[in-house]
Amino acid sequence: MQVESTFGKMNALTSVMGIKALFEKYGIYIFLIILFVFASVVSPAFLRPKNLQDVLNQAAALGIVSIGQTFVILTGGGGLDLSVASVMATVAVIIARNTGGLDALLLPVASLGLLFGVLIGLFNGLLITKRRVPPFMATLGMMIIVQGLRFIYTKGAPKGDFPPFVRFLGNGNIGPIPTSVISLGVFTIIAAVILRKTAFGRKVYTIGGNIHTARLSGYRTDLIITATYMISGLTAAIAGIYLAGWIGISDNWVGKGYELDSIAAVVMGGTSFEGGRGGVLGTIAGVLIIMMLYNVILLLHLPVQVQYVIKGAVIVLAASFYVRRSVR
Amino acid sequence: MKRLLLVLIATAFSVSVLVPAAGAQVKLQWSRSWLWDQNPVRMVNTAKFKKKPPYVIGFSNASISNSWRVFMAREVQAEAEKHKDLIKKFYVTDAQDKPEKQIGDTEDLVAKGCDAIILSAATMAALDPIATRLYKRGIPVICVDRRVTSDNFVSFVTASNFTQGRMMMVWLCEMLKGKGNIVMLPGIAGAGPAEERIVGAKEVLSQYPDIKVLDMQYTSWSPSEGKRVMAALIQSYGNKIDGVWADSGLQGSGAVEALNDAGLKIPITGEDLNAYLLRVQKYGFPAMSIGFPVKMGAEAVRTTLKVLQGIQVPFIVNVTRTVTTTVDTEDVKADVPWSDMAHPKWPSDWWIDNTLPEKWLPK
Repeated sequence: MQVESTFGKMNALTSVMGIKALFEKYGIYIFLIILFVFASVVSPAFLRPKNLQDVLNQAAALGIVSIGQTFVILTGGGGLDLSVASVMATVAVIIARNTGGLDALLLPVASLGLLFGVLIGLFNGLLITKRRVPPFMATLGMMIIVQGLRFIYTKGAPKGDFPPFVRFLGNGNIGPIPTSVISLGVFTIIAAVILRKTAFGRKVYTIGGNIHTARLSGYRTDLIITATYMISGLTAAIAGIYLAGWIGISDNWVGKGYELDSIAAVVMGGTSFEGGRGGVLGTIAGVLIIMMLYNVILLLHLPVQVQYVIKGAVIVLAASFYVRRSVR
Repeated sequence: MKRLLLVLIATAFSVSVLVPAAGAQVKLQWSRSWLWDQNPVRMVNTAKFKKKPPYVIGFSNASISNSWRVFMAREVQAEAEKHKDLIKKFYVTDAQDKPEKQIGDTEDLVAKGCDAIILSAATMAALDPIATRLYKRGIPVICVDRRVTSDNFVSFVTASNFTQGRMMMVWLCEMLKGKGNIVMLPGIAGAGPAEERIVGAKEVLSQYPDIKVLDMQYTSWSPSEGKRVMAALIQSYGNKIDGVWADSGLQGSGAVEALNDAGLKIPITGEDLNAYLLRVQKYGFPAMSIGFPVKMGAEAVRTTLKVLQGIQVPFIVNVTRTVTTTVDTEDVKADVPWSDMAHPKWPSDWWIDNTLPEKWLPK
């Protein structure tokens, strides 16, 4: 408790540090621009419209999951959601199996899938707030449970196909712009508005800043934290639909690795694990960095494995950067 | 009373006719090893393992973490069920890709009194000590799909990954008439099957000096990775790519989609995964497929039963596999037409070259 109040003071200190603080605040965007310029210079293929389209299209699903992840991490207290990738894959197989590739059945089945995501979020939230299970353990457990349920449900070999509309969402274009990118833009704006302009958003930041203050102010902290996990479950379910539409094959492992990539994107984007600081725009910048790194490595003909080294290095760098900021 | 007698006689008669017929199924059978091994087939004398039925058999499986493994495990169980007369108890364990768990699983199976163990090893090295220990104790170990490092097992039921890599590359090089640029999309770096397929492919490549490999990228045997990597490679090399060597239908299906999006209808290789077969057919690609057949699971059970009955078995049992192409080349010709392999009504995740009875298909 003492530690947290000390951090509170330091936040106040850093905010008056002027240019340095400004640079720190926008560091992620500067890095994004540098990476973009670097990519354009080293590989002429990077700036081709089709390549940019590919990168953005691939970024959409990760971006959508990361939005929910941002909400969860903003609440602080070690909050994170490891169950997102499991939810993504499960929603994808639910849709493939129950629509049988028909648009007519999409609305009810997709609603069911989204409801499933929200329910998993609700369980996560209740475990964390009511039973005081550490978020890491609660969501890890949920990840394994959902995985197991999926394997029981599909018997290991998922069947079915995706309706044309799902393919349009994940793989189609409106004019020259991928549908998924437009969707990501819309979701980002909605999330930013919720976080910046609504009472709920302000409460999320307050809880992340200092949960005790929030309690003393009469906020129903348990309710709000649970709601952030439900949002994370919902965005994971939505992302599952987009990613499934992009691949077009019913696969038990749609979104494998997205739990860690989404956390990495959020942390790179300046949302700290202590909570209360950051936002979705930084997260989207983090997502774009992850996807651009991947693309550039392939364009430079380096082995795909190199991306992990660079991605890891960027995460560690970003994290150490933000820690230094909060200790000072 | 008379009627009862009649029924008894009839039953006795039908049993006497049916039992040898059922037994005949596990008598000496042709396996591909007998036909295709360039050397005399190395046979294993199994007299010392001979036991009276019924048997207790254990299947120590590495995992069912992808649909290939699910199908293979089901082949094992379905075949075991067919031989109920010989098998009293059939145990199956799933190590979830963890070698240390599989060692424990295998020990458990022995403790349960298994007469033989069918082993699909999570990794070659980690499972070697336990396989060796069992072998020395006189419990026959039959490897399937993945073997252990040493030769301390009775028989290994498999399909050659080297052959697979070679066949795919020969077809591709012949399609390109020995001249052109290709990209290679292998599976997982360091995974036995992936590396062996690359070795086989490179052996063939060494004979084609005018075929240039522009790039080789691992794809984790994942459709989404296949699509992502292929899309970036297309941006990077554009129309310079004349052909794609994908070592499996998993990334192959993703790569076909990326190629189709870019309007590049170039030759591509893959396996008997329905998604791959269907997409090739739908988009009209020149393509070939060679199965790494899931039915090796069933063959492993048959081999195990032979071992326990004291019948000689080959040390390496190569299962038959189906090659299909949309365009034949000089050395690679389709065993069956592509349209017979691609099943629009079946799930995309199904492996076509299986021998599963209806009720064992994952539905």
